[in-house]
Amino acid sequence: MSSERRRIVIDPITRLEGHGKIDIFLNDSGTVERAYFQVPELRGFEKFAEGRPVEDMPQITSRICGVCPMAHHMAATKAVDAVYGVSPTSPGRKIRELVYNAFVAEDHLLHFYFLGGPDFVVGPNAPAAERNILGVIAKVGVEAGKKVIDMRRRLRRIMEVAGGKPIHPVLGLPGGVARPIKPEEQDEFKKTAADSVEFARFTLDLFDKIVLKNSDYVNLIVSDAFTHRTYYMGTVDGNNHVNFYDGWVRVVDPEGKEYAKFKPEQYLDYVAEHVEPWSYVKFCYLKPVGWKGFTDGAESGVYSVAPLARLNAADGMATPLANEAYQQMFAALGAKPVHHTLANHWARLVEVLYACERVKQLAGDPEIVDPNIRNLPTEVPREGVGIVEAPRGTLIHHFATDERGLVRKANLIVATQNNAARIAMSVEKAAKGLISGPDVDEGVLNQIEMAFRAYDPCHGCATHSLPGSMPLILRLRGTDGRLVRTLRRDSDGSLYND
Amino acid sequence: MRRTYLRILCLGNDILADDAFAFRVAARLHGLALFGAEVMEAATSGFDLLEYTVGAPALVVVDTVQTGQASPGTVFELREDDWKLIPGGSPHYIGLFEALAAGRALGLPVPEEVVILAVEAYDCLTVGGPMHPAVEEAVDEVVNRLREMLRQRMGAAGPAAAATPEGGTSPPANG
Repeated sequence: MSSERRRIVIDPITRLEGHGKIDIFLNDSGTVERAYFQVPELRGFEKFAEGRPVEDMPQITSRICGVCPMAHHMAATKAVDAVYGVSPTSPGRKIRELVYNAFVAEDHLLHFYFLGGPDFVVGPNAPAAERNILGVIAKVGVEAGKKVIDMRRRLRRIMEVAGGKPIHPVLGLPGGVARPIKPEEQDEFKKTAADSVEFARFTLDLFDKIVLKNSDYVNLIVSDAFTHRTYYMGTVDGNNHVNFYDGWVRVVDPEGKEYAKFKPEQYLDYVAEHVEPWSYVKFCYLKPVGWKGFTDGAESGVYSVAPLARLNAADGMATPLANEAYQQMFAALGAKPVHHTLANHWARLVEVLYACERVKQLAGDPEIVDPNIRNLPTEVPREGVGIVEAPRGTLIHHFATDERGLVRKANLIVATQNNAARIAMSVEKAAKGLISGPDVDEGVLNQIEMAFRAYDPCHGCATHSLPGSMPLILRLRGTDGRLVRTLRRDSDGSLYND
Repeated sequence: MRRTYLRILCLGNDILADDAFAFRVAARLHGLALFGAEVMEAATSGFDLLEYTVGAPALVVVDTVQTGQASPGTVFELREDDWKLIPGGSPHYIGLFEALAAGRALGLPVPEEVVILAVEAYDCLTVGGPMHPAVEEAVDEVVNRLREMLRQRMGAAGPAAAATPEGGTSPPANG
């Protein structure tokens, strides 16, 4: 049997060795035996961190990813707080949370309009030539497109003003932040925040009109091909409401019952990593449940993070409009938890509304202009863990230092690692449902891509991504590595068969 | 106000081995203080590149690439026609040209002419890793090509621009 096995590789060639590559092995009867989702990972971070002052970590870690530098900056800042045993002042904490929510809102908006947009705004069955940013703009209109650009620019300005720089923020210091907000800046933030809440509502309305009113889309969201019954993880506040910046990490089981709730420093009691010979990625699983392979159900330690997981793991949203949207989503999709991967797109918009409402609350808080922005650390530094909810899911930074505060050990668990097992399962399920034999068409490529795009996966956190996307290339290989066939999908939707 | 004929956007990551290449080029260009060129450095990605393109009369992007088809240090000159728009899987998949296309569709003043000078990298994934010697050597070639591109742009702009001295004899770019 194995000598007859064939291998298909779906390889979106980007500048870094093909950021995400899908290998599909067919058996001799032409059905999918296994499918693997592979991503390259950064090397050498731990060695690079060793011996450096731990307070440099918020700057260094923010430079390993150009997509979510703020998430790394904030997780590292919180870990450094813990290393020094110091908590931020109330104004310092509020400024951090304000900036962080502005970041989540602008990042989620980018994903919905320009990344998930081709799948949902333009449509999964639209011609490939339209399934891109231009197709989204054509569908939502130039004015709405301009609004997206303008809203993101203004939200990023909050990050720039309060964070020092939009790309590599410098606000986080142990025990607080580097500067208070000026009254005139607060006025600007309030205006931005109010407009952002309206824009978030507009976006949810758009989703309702374009996606939810279309039964084909809804059927796709709830289809079995995009469904897995796993555990879910997310950070919640004292009322079990979603919180991106701080709280307890809560895990619910596939039935929606609370399985665990823990503080950041306990993460190693709950999260373990499984290594597979075919992947660079370490697959996270729930340690008490154990690794049972790429399988779902309560017996398997596989869990998921990211917007849908966060909403599943919480009891609601802390702001009124977002909580209403939260209740509507679960009412429409059935009982909690929702296991449909594609519902991530909807959950992401509920989170946009929460983030904008939270920015509005904090921008209007008189404390953010208070100059009492920092508690100076006085303890001997030791070890600490910082956790935030990155747009793509739970992000964990863990540093241990010597008594001078120089890093001895560093460990990062990024969102996509938390999701890696479920992403692999989604890709395999989509491949098994869609592929029989070597004749693979472009629609199959789209749907397999959709299976992982909903997670908004982060690949090999490099800082930039020029020149960006290229045509998809699918390679069919024999087990000896011999190329049997190459399919190339171009932007006009045509397939080239070499 | 001094006129800009060419914007040079250097993209990279100073802690990721060969990915620091474009920043080395930028440092050399700052030292040369080229008349008529505006040199920018950015460590951002995808759609956020749009803001670096708005208002540029013409744009050259310096970056690294890993095709796996060429030896490290090989310099590629790529134009917009060489790339196609397809939906991407994450923000890592939205590239410069998608951002430019969106900018045009939204009526923003983005440049019509865009060239990428990309050098084949050996390693862009090792944090704190060394730069490959062949990649480091390509700095000279890329700087020379950029000077030639600038000369051509200024020549195309008319005799007055072409006659303007450039290089070490010009005033500092930030002066």
